[in-house]
Amino acid sequence: MTERLPNGADSAVAAADLRWMRFDRARVFSWAQTIGIIVLLAVIFATPGFLAKPSILSFLTTVSFIGCVAIGMTLITISGNIMSFALGATVGVTAMVFILASNWLGFDFGLVFGLLFGSLLTGLQGLMIGWVRANPIIVSIAALALIYGLTQAFAEKGTIYADPGIFPASVKGKVGGVPIEFIMFVLSALIAQFILSFTRFGRNLFMVGSSFRAAEAVGVNTWRTITGAYLWAGFFTSLAGIMLAVRYDAANMDYGVAYDYDAIAAVLVGGTAIGGGHGSAVRTFAGAMVIAAVQVMLLLRGLRQEWQYLAAGLIVLAVIILQARGNGR
Amino acid sequence: MQSVLSVHGVSKTYPGVIALRDVSFSLAPGEIRALCGENGAGKSTFVKILMGIIQPDSGSIAINGQIQFVREPQQAQALGLGLVAQELSLAPHLSILDNIWLGSTEVPFLHRRASFRMRAQQALATLGLADWHLDRPVNSLSIGQRQLIEIARLLAREARVLILDEPTATLSDADIERILGILKGLRAQGRSIIYITHRLGEVFELCDSVTVLRNGQHVATQPVSEVTREHLVEQMLGRSFKDMYPQAATRADQGIRMAVDGLHVPGVLQDFSLIAPRGRIVCIAGQIGSGANMVTRALAGLVPSATGSVTIDGRPMRLGSVPRCVARNVLFVSDDRAAEGLFPQMTVLDNLVATRLDASSQMGVLSWPALRRLGVSLAERVGVDRHRLQSQSTTLSGGNQQKLLFGRALASKEAGVLLMNEPTRGIDVGARAEIYRIMRELCDRGAALIMTSSDLEEVVGIADIVITLYRGRVVARYEGDGIAMSSILADITHPTQAIA
Repeated sequence: MTERLPNGADSAVAAADLRWMRFDRARVFSWAQTIGIIVLLAVIFATPGFLAKPSILSFLTTVSFIGCVAIGMTLITISGNIMSFALGATVGVTAMVFILASNWLGFDFGLVFGLLFGSLLTGLQGLMIGWVRANPIIVSIAALALIYGLTQAFAEKGTIYADPGIFPASVKGKVGGVPIEFIMFVLSALIAQFILSFTRFGRNLFMVGSSFRAAEAVGVNTWRTITGAYLWAGFFTSLAGIMLAVRYDAANMDYGVAYDYDAIAAVLVGGTAIGGGHGSAVRTFAGAMVIAAVQVMLLLRGLRQEWQYLAAGLIVLAVIILQARGNGR
Repeated sequence: MQSVLSVHGVSKTYPGVIALRDVSFSLAPGEIRALCGENGAGKSTFVKILMGIIQPDSGSIAINGQIQFVREPQQAQALGLGLVAQELSLAPHLSILDNIWLGSTEVPFLHRRASFRMRAQQALATLGLADWHLDRPVNSLSIGQRQLIEIARLLAREARVLILDEPTATLSDADIERILGILKGLRAQGRSIIYITHRLGEVFELCDSVTVLRNGQHVATQPVSEVTREHLVEQMLGRSFKDMYPQAATRADQGIRMAVDGLHVPGVLQDFSLIAPRGRIVCIAGQIGSGANMVTRALAGLVPSATGSVTIDGRPMRLGSVPRCVARNVLFVSDDRAAEGLFPQMTVLDNLVATRLDASSQMGVLSWPALRRLGVSLAERVGVDRHRLQSQSTTLSGGNQQKLLFGRALASKEAGVLLMNEPTRGIDVGARAEIYRIMRELCDRGAALIMTSSDLEEVVGIADIVITLYRGRVVARYEGDGIAMSSILADITHPTQAIA
């Protein structure tokens, strides 16, 4: 029906041939990807001490901080704005603002204020990008510089400490043996996936990311959609900052360093298209798990921090090559 | 006489389509051959194979009697083949000299050698442009002049066979005359030209012979003197050209859907007025630069600087915001399907329902079953295979992609206004007839359709009302039996009287 082929017999043969051709390359690369993941998992699980309980618990906690940022980054990437360099700094500054607000009016207020602060801070960048049509990368770098500059100016001591006993014990423990941070991470991924799959806003986000001009032409309110994506990105990012502050009873600007990079690595490993318009939060969840597992493995095998960056870089490179080749260039 | 280029039994298959099937072709020195065919007939595939951009599945190419395997464009260039593609490939900030040698395989690392200057100068002189200064930047030239630089580029490389893909599509009449004159001069020098065009007038004025392709197959090759215009059209379409278009609107006038008064777009369009009745197709005809496509864009809310008063069903509508226009059921189908129509990474289903998310959601939460139902019914109505709803939209053929965009327009419950630019550009004959059918279906439901088209046969075939534009001003308005190709053509090229 869709493509006209000359006559019955020939078209059947042609269709059979074509099916083979079309799947060939994609199949080879998807196999390569699967084999790569299996080998990776085997190496990870074969690492001595990885499956020990303390190691697993620490893994589930650390992955959650970066993971929440990655969930936020997924929305930005899907919206067609590639990535933000300011999310790491947002983690740090939100953690500080959260502790200040908690010390002042208690944990509940601090939580709401912190989430609101982080969402608006990032949402404002979204407004610059969606409404003013500023370049997303430049906006995020400018925001990064502004955030660092302002926090240096106002918080001279560097680290802010929470008043003793200000956080209820329930937010610092585990639920059914699982760290509360990891539960929040799972919830974040599910909420983000719900937004993407089942809301009009989510559908608009895919459309804007897939083709900005086409979205405009079908009447999507593009600036609102992009601002919304950044608001939600800020929400999930500030959640990471708040969880860090709760865990360490303190906050400083070093908290979010290099989170942007690990987050975009997780987004890409999860298969979200760097050009926008395609992706999923649940798969970013899996991507974050892979990246974090590799880092833990390297740590357990006694390799230094620098090697972790190198490993993350190599994984991202491999995924990008596989994706590009698999999609028929 | 030995042929300079001879192609034997070339075939090429793409996933889902046979682009070329056993095509043979032979070109004599000093011959200008027109290559005609509908969009999708295989012309560009044929050219790409000649130029080594893609490889044929079977068949052979001989140049000057020698069988050659052209694997890449550089090799085609060395063999004396040169292509002027539809889109200009000039670097606007570089000089004429740089552009002439851009991409040439002969140029060493540093190319400002006297011999290259001289050969570039000679190439310009061959075209009668000896007075042009080689160091002039290309962006100081008009579009027509740039087209000449593209041809000069081929001459400087000593191309024996020039392939021109719709060189006149974007040119003014004076520039077209000039190019045709130059091409005749090149023929006299013994160069051969393959001339791809949709403009049949140019075939008869310029070319010696014409080859027609249809659905990837060779239909006929004949001297121009032995074929009539009607015959040529029938060869291209594969049927008589009357079957193409559905019956004109028969239902009685049901009143005015959209009225536009004093539409103004600075620098492009002046004082444009229009009345679009329900159930009628209004066609705005004009050449590139006439502002015709700006009318539809402005009415769709895509032009922020547009001013003028617009009413829909008697109620005023403000311009300048697409969501506001969509809310009033004024929908737009762009001529640039790739950039402004399709969501490439998304599925066919998601593309179809893009404008109707509000109807399938509550409090912002989508109902997947409702979307699916809507998608299935739309796919059936526009004639897209429902089994492909979950495929990525870019895997559909051009015609089916266009049907998707029309599906969006069908999605709304009440009939509104549909604005279309070049609705059948780049679409094969079969899909074209389908799209005309969908357009008439929309009319029957009471929608008003406003379209632009540079294909005059289409204008005459489908329109109920025609408005001709010349340089941003309305020339005339025709209706029903008053629509004739000759007067439209005269209006959009050399208007005799302009009514303000």
